Amino acid sequence: MSKRLPYVIATALLASLSLIAHARETVKIAFIGPLTGGVAANGLGGRNSAELAVKLRNADPKAKYHYELLVLDDECKPNVGVQVATKAAADNDVIAGITHYCSTVAMGTVDVYHRFGLPVIVWGAVLPDITYGNNYKEIHRVNGTMINQNEVAAKFMTGLKFKRWAIIHDTTDYGKGHDKYFSEFLKKDGGQIVGDFGVTADQQDFSAELTRIKELKPDVIYFGGITPLGVRIRSQMDKFGVKAVFEGTSGIISDAFIEGLGPLAEGVVAFREGAPADKLPGGKMFLKEYAAANYSDPPEAYGPFAFAATNLVIDAIEQVGPNRKKVRKVLDRTKDHDSVVGKITFDDHGQNSVPLITKFVVQDGKWVVWEDSEYASGKRSLTGR
Amino acid sequence: MDLALLAQHALNGAMLGVIYALVAVGFTLFFGVLDVIKFSHGDVVMLGAFTGLATSIGLSSAFGSVPPWIAVIVITLTAVAAMALVGALMAKFLVLPLHKAPTLNVLLITLMAGTVIRESVRLFYPQGSNPKPFPRLLPDGAVNLGRLTLRFDSAILLAIGVIAIVGVHLLITRTRLGLAIRAVAQDPETASAMGIPFQATVLATFALGSGLAALAGVVNGLYYSEVNFSMGLLLGAIGFSAAVIGGLGNVYGAILGGFIFAALQTIGAVALPIASAYKDVFAFGAVIALMAWKPAGLLAERSAERV
Amino acid sequence: MRTPSILPALFATVATAAAVVLLLLADQEWEVATMAGVAVAVLLGGMRLGWGETVHRSATAHRRIVTPVTWLAGAVAIFLLREHNFELLMLCTVMIFMIAGLGLTVQFGYAGVVNFAAAAFMGIGAYTTAVLMNSTALPHPVVILLSGLVSAVIGSVLLLPLLRTRGHYAALITIAFGILFRTFLEVNDALGGPQGLKVPGLELFGHAFNDAIEINDDVEWSFYLNYAAGALVVLFLAYELVRRIERSWMGLALDAVRLDETAASAFGLNGAAWKITAFSIGNFLAGVAGSLYATITAFIAPASFTFSDSLILVSIVILGGLGNPLGLLPAALVVVVLPEKLQVIQEYRFLLFAILVIAILLLRPGGLIPRRAREYPE
Repeated sequence: MSKRLPYVIATALLASLSLIAHARETVKIAFIGPLTGGVAANGLGGRNSAELAVKLRNADPKAKYHYELLVLDDECKPNVGVQVATKAAADNDVIAGITHYCSTVAMGTVDVYHRFGLPVIVWGAVLPDITYGNNYKEIHRVNGTMINQNEVAAKFMTGLKFKRWAIIHDTTDYGKGHDKYFSEFLKKDGGQIVGDFGVTADQQDFSAELTRIKELKPDVIYFGGITPLGVRIRSQMDKFGVKAVFEGTSGIISDAFIEGLGPLAEGVVAFREGAPADKLPGGKMFLKEYAAANYSDPPEAYGPFAFAATNLVIDAIEQVGPNRKKVRKVLDRTKDHDSVVGKITFDDHGQNSVPLITKFVVQDGKWVVWEDSEYASGKRSLTGR
Repeated sequence: MDLALLAQHALNGAMLGVIYALVAVGFTLFFGVLDVIKFSHGDVVMLGAFTGLATSIGLSSAFGSVPPWIAVIVITLTAVAAMALVGALMAKFLVLPLHKAPTLNVLLITLMAGTVIRESVRLFYPQGSNPKPFPRLLPDGAVNLGRLTLRFDSAILLAIGVIAIVGVHLLITRTRLGLAIRAVAQDPETASAMGIPFQATVLATFALGSGLAALAGVVNGLYYSEVNFSMGLLLGAIGFSAAVIGGLGNVYGAILGGFIFAALQTIGAVALPIASAYKDVFAFGAVIALMAWKPAGLLAERSAERV
Repeated sequence: MRTPSILPALFATVATAAAVVLLLLADQEWEVATMAGVAVAVLLGGMRLGWGETVHRSATAHRRIVTPVTWLAGAVAIFLLREHNFELLMLCTVMIFMIAGLGLTVQFGYAGVVNFAAAAFMGIGAYTTAVLMNSTALPHPVVILLSGLVSAVIGSVLLLPLLRTRGHYAALITIAFGILFRTFLEVNDALGGPQGLKVPGLELFGHAFNDAIEINDDVEWSFYLNYAAGALVVLFLAYELVRRIERSWMGLALDAVRLDETAASAFGLNGAAWKITAFSIGNFLAGVAGSLYATITAFIAPASFTFSDSLILVSIVILGGLGNPLGLLPAALVVVVLPEKLQVIQEYRFLLFAILVIAILLLRPGGLIPRRAREYPE
């Protein structure tokens, strides 16, 4: 009996220790993005990145809570988004959300988050009004807005001596926003808009629009919309003999865009806020961890933002505990917070300032930073010149 | 608008018309033999396109580079054969068992079958939710006639479509199978009494219609160089509209309907003083107006009511 | 003949209400799966043992008691969910789909007029509500009524082609209208385009539906309780309307027109007039359903009223049993709640749902609760 006592005590101690380790309270965080439909690739990349942040934190012995990611699919449709946002916000166990790649969805759901007092961080949607169109303290955003993106886009392309633009945009708030800001900046920089076409996001055939555009002889076609539509327009441009540079927005920066076009993607330019992940010290760590986790889909352009947003939320919860109001206040005060996308500071609308805009061009089936490309060095020239 | 531009738009419209007509013929065939609407038809078009795509990938990984014209033939034949089988299976297990049920049930079950096809492609085809590039297998060149550009690939596709349509016409008017299809369409009971196997004829008709859908899918893929899992929805609705405008059950009506719908869309996008985005509003609005004018389609069956 | 006991009807009512609450509260996949299994077992067992007949007789014999008890059970079910936001929202959606389904029942089930644009008519109601509530000070119950009326009036543009055509041709007209309506909303800026519109909350006699009900400091009832109660009242009114139509000479006339229009007109019935009536009543109900939908979700977009949504509504009516308003409840539960509850297997939900509907159509083509032949009181 006495011989076995030490073992018993040791076992009991070990058991209670492991109990403590396991007894970390579980805290739920919601992730919402488009997991199905045309831009699912971006949504899955974002989800994996958020999941990765949660996994890494749960493995950290210093973490006070155990985190659980509630993943919801907004299908990039506002009505579905409102539905799942309500689901997340109505669940009292959910403390905060990492929400939305599609601007159209985010525009619809901000009211829901405000109504239920759920603090969220937008990880991919770029329409300015999501943060600036309201005074909701619950809404934050780690990525930048489309304003800066289009300012750089207009200046850069006019700088390359292009003169005539034809614009095709989808008729969502997202497409219209790009149309509006790009047109404004382009006029300021002296470019000429020879035609402006609004198309629905699920249109398949562009023969009529492109035949008319061909007559207008633009140097550049500016496209304000997201990947699936962009793939269709770029590929039909070729069919109808429209020889112009294809200039897109952050909405087409995805591997799916290149996969959808094959060699036709070559020479497409697009712009995104923030430095590319592999140019930042934290970003390299992120890409390494992401690769190690063996996800079947790439992180895509906004994966790092989803990762950063998730960490931001978790840090806030670690600081003040799982309480929506307290977490919201911590997030509101975010200043110079280190992350894989650089330092994050929220202004009074919860908007992170992302001053740097990166220019991308597709070269040999990859999105390459413009300055590193053979296009910048003069080895290749953009088509249509 | 000058003549060259007009011709260009007409050419684009004709291309759409061929695709729509191929889809519409399927609708009208199914309706002819069974009085049913098979609403998964648009998704069969999509599945045909994806079968073609998978075949082409399989082909190039198995044999390296294959001469493009062989590839086109193999792809087309595989897609058509596979979809013919799918069509016959659907007829056997989904449509025929419900033949005696209200027609609405058939519509609903095929609609759900369409959802199954669409979702399966999205979930089980690698990265199925992304738009996929369709291989460019047709010659790239073009003839420029003034400002009118006639691309070789468009011309070839147009020719394929027209040949297919003529082929269907010959099949229906000149062969025993065609005779059986027409007999069953006219009066299933008498046809069976005369020794025409009802079920086999129905299955053959569904195989034929679905094969045409696969052809439409491949043509669509070669024309746009892109396919995606949701392309079948609108194509199905348009094909159905085309078949109905022409007069359900009438193959020529379906072909006519296909071209009319394409013309309406092109006119809506080009000739009207409204934004081109309204073209589908215009086209479908015109369809409704057309139905008010000609309630049984343009080429209506002679008897107004079959009892 | 001995009067049947009232117990089977009461038991069925209470059991149904309890099952709905349990289903809504279930948050584990196995719970949902078990309940679905039990439901299937009850359905199969009931078919074999004639439970449906027993319940039906009992309910018919004691209609005066059973009907109020049924609605009371509905109210109790809603009250039990008072603190559960999302579950109440789902219940609201179920009731809205049932109201629209009642409209389709009148059109499809009674008059035989097809309508594959039910979601579009819901959309007309929803957009009317959004516009009226955003820009006028009309009392909200009036807005809801007007939304239904506008939907019926706009529907009347389809009357001419609909009356001239039949069968699949008529189906095409409504399909074309559904697609046209959605595309029109998408390209039309005045109504918010694809982005949609925000809708303010309902108010009734100074009571704002969007305010949560605070009982005391610790207990707060969901604001969806307001909406669920409101939806239940509207559902009650719609159901009574439809039931009364069916039982009256109107229902007989509609049946006659559906079954054989030529024969009906030989007996002096004006087929066209009855079809117009049924089509308009149906669209009115769809518009009212859309109006409620708009106020509850506070946000509407063209993507909510697509052709696929119309098809979902048609599936509900057919799944439930064409022409039987009672079948709408289980059908709406299957269509609305089941995919939501199966989100654990999220990505596969549409696939499984479609397979389920196919199975039901093949195995039980009359729907879950088929319509009964008319019974004439002795």
